[in-house]
Amino acid sequence: MKIISNNSKTDKEDMRKIWEKIGDYFRANSIWMKWYCTGCGAIELPPTMTSRFDMERLGMGPMATPRQADVLLITGYLSSKTLRRIIYSYEQMQDPKYVVGFGSCTINGGIYYDSYATMKQLDNYLPVDLYIAGCMPRPEAVMNGFDTLISMIKKGEANGWKHYKENYDWYSRNQLHSLGEVYVKDEFHE
Amino acid sequence: MKEVKLFLGPQHPGMHGNYSVHMYVDGDIIKKAYPLPGMLHRGFEKLMERRLWMGNIALIPRICVVEPDINEMVYAMGIEKLGNIEVPERAHWIRMIILELARIAIHLMSFGGIGGPTGLYTASYWSIADRDLILDIFEKITGARVYHMYIVAGGVRKDLPEGIEEEIIGLLDYLEKRLPEYEELILKNPIIHARLKDNILLPEEVVWELGVTGIGMRSAVDKEYDIRKVKPYARYDQVEFDVPFGPYSDAYTRVSYKPIEIRQSIRIIRQSLEKMPKEGPVRVKISTGSALRWTVPAGMVYPVIESARGEYGYLMVSDGSEMPYRIAVRGASYPQGLLGVEKYLPGHRIDDASLWMDTMGVCAPEIDR
Amino acid sequence: MNSMNSIYENLKSKFNILGVDYPDDMQMAIDLDEKDIHTVIVYLKSIGYTQLSMLTCVDWIKEGVFQLVYIVFNWDNGIHILVRTKLDRENPKFRTIVEIYPGAQFYERDVHEFFGVEFEGNEISYKNLFLELWDDMPPMRKDFDPQKYSDEKYAAREYKSKFISEVGGEK
Repeated sequence: MKIISNNSKTDKEDMRKIWEKIGDYFRANSIWMKWYCTGCGAIELPPTMTSRFDMERLGMGPMATPRQADVLLITGYLSSKTLRRIIYSYEQMQDPKYVVGFGSCTINGGIYYDSYATMKQLDNYLPVDLYIAGCMPRPEAVMNGFDTLISMIKKGEANGWKHYKENYDWYSRNQLHSLGEVYVKDEFHE
Repeated sequence: MKEVKLFLGPQHPGMHGNYSVHMYVDGDIIKKAYPLPGMLHRGFEKLMERRLWMGNIALIPRICVVEPDINEMVYAMGIEKLGNIEVPERAHWIRMIILELARIAIHLMSFGGIGGPTGLYTASYWSIADRDLILDIFEKITGARVYHMYIVAGGVRKDLPEGIEEEIIGLLDYLEKRLPEYEELILKNPIIHARLKDNILLPEEVVWELGVTGIGMRSAVDKEYDIRKVKPYARYDQVEFDVPFGPYSDAYTRVSYKPIEIRQSIRIIRQSLEKMPKEGPVRVKISTGSALRWTVPAGMVYPVIESARGEYGYLMVSDGSEMPYRIAVRGASYPQGLLGVEKYLPGHRIDDASLWMDTMGVCAPEIDR
Repeated sequence: MNSMNSIYENLKSKFNILGVDYPDDMQMAIDLDEKDIHTVIVYLKSIGYTQLSMLTCVDWIKEGVFQLVYIVFNWDNGIHILVRTKLDRENPKFRTIVEIYPGAQFYERDVHEFFGVEFEGNEISYKNLFLELWDDMPPMRKDFDPQKYSDEKYAAREYKSKFISEVGGEK
């Protein structure tokens, strides 16, 4: 399987229009993070959100619905069952949208490299803008990662969502290969 | 009347963890509910069969994310029982300190959990900040905030760092000062009274039917049913502590037991710091030959401990080789999280569903494994 | 230990117990024929073992059997009894204990999903719970290879350089 790199823009030149630059500036300072604890890394999010580390200092806050959120955090291992829900959520989110992968499990499978239920590489299925390494990343690392994300948005480098649209076939093929079927059938219990 | 299908979770602020309940509602009364676990399924039981006994120490804390230390303790107890290993005296006491600190941390975390469904966000902000102070202590002792890998077979990984006793006592003093404030904030709050009093009942028959343990059981059956009392492990038989119990279990009673349990944990830690031998070995060598590839004698054992949500145990089977033959996890919230949701969540209102999950103590990762 | 011996003597006088083992000082494991399981469990429940702590399965592939382990617990004396029985691995079928311990319903579903043991009388257990769209043999069986399944389904990251050889380790 071939891997397409997210950073297709090699030249330094900033191709954005002036209103896009202004838009990115404002987006970077008001980020809503989607409230979805997909894995164990989510246990470090409450300290990050609340008074000890307080990510509201960066202009970030949690948001309950995908349609109003900007950032999707994949906090740790990703089981195939979760991936289906995440694809649903991600495709519901409005442009521009960003994906942050937490922990070594999203990078290469981590400690679950031989598990029959977890994905090994998140960027095969969703366009990841930023990875935060560690198992699990400490709140300081999370804050640092968010800071990087903000500067990436300001510079117009966080273009994963465009990449997803352009290479939708490739992503869709990978999703189908691993999941069999992306459609969630939750009628199994009835 | 038309029934509407509603999803609680997996992506929902009132749902703690990646867990889902499908509800059929009529008006705002839940008519049918189906639990949908498995979003956190990683196949631990299979992975553990593929790792060395040593390598599993890194894997097992991840089974229960909010309270990892119980896993290490159960695993270590199982190996010690199979291999007839005597743990040094000091290690027993250190283990108790770690386990009780973890119990305080998870009870504080669950105060934070009550904040979301009731709208009392101050509780989350306070308790999660205070929990972080405990994580700092953990970091000084073990080097990690959440997954410690500290309690290992044969003792603990290394001795307590110098001067940590004073810091622990300082933290306990601080928490004792804070607890009345928590009670003022949470237990005497009119919002909490309105939402939790006489709501989400757990009668004694249901406890026995489902197999609920922990706070839920003790608050319903009016007996001191705590593994620490019934079959003490470590050195729980040498410390004095009380367990709250009562005959009437509503959501409010179960929440109000948490500060009492925190007080008792503080009491246990203080006694442990006093009674533990001041020096001595903390780990016995259990391996013969290679340091990493040790074996465990064949057998089958079911070690159990009391977690914050109840009886937590592994069924450990060894065939005498370098890897476990089978380890099955009994998650403490398995009964109420699956059958409890299906049978007893119906009849409640929609807005009480996430309170139900929180006050019953449903922890998704240990159900899914 | 005394109380455990008396429990064992009591059980032995009433039922045909194939083997006994004491893994711990508050634990007893008894082996039974599969037709005795229900009567023994009903009896144990009537003498105070009111909680079913766990029901699980062990795959003894060399002997060709599945071993079901029912763990019942008496909160008053703190004794766990592990009631064990062996089923044929080729056609694993057993009867449910949901009527005795209603809490067993999801444990049986679990065992069916991960081992393929069918529990007659608990039809809901034939539906998968944890695994969605599962397309292989039950994964906890010993002959299932998760590494192979994972390699086929989930592409691993390819690294451009071999870090181990770069730092001078193995080639």
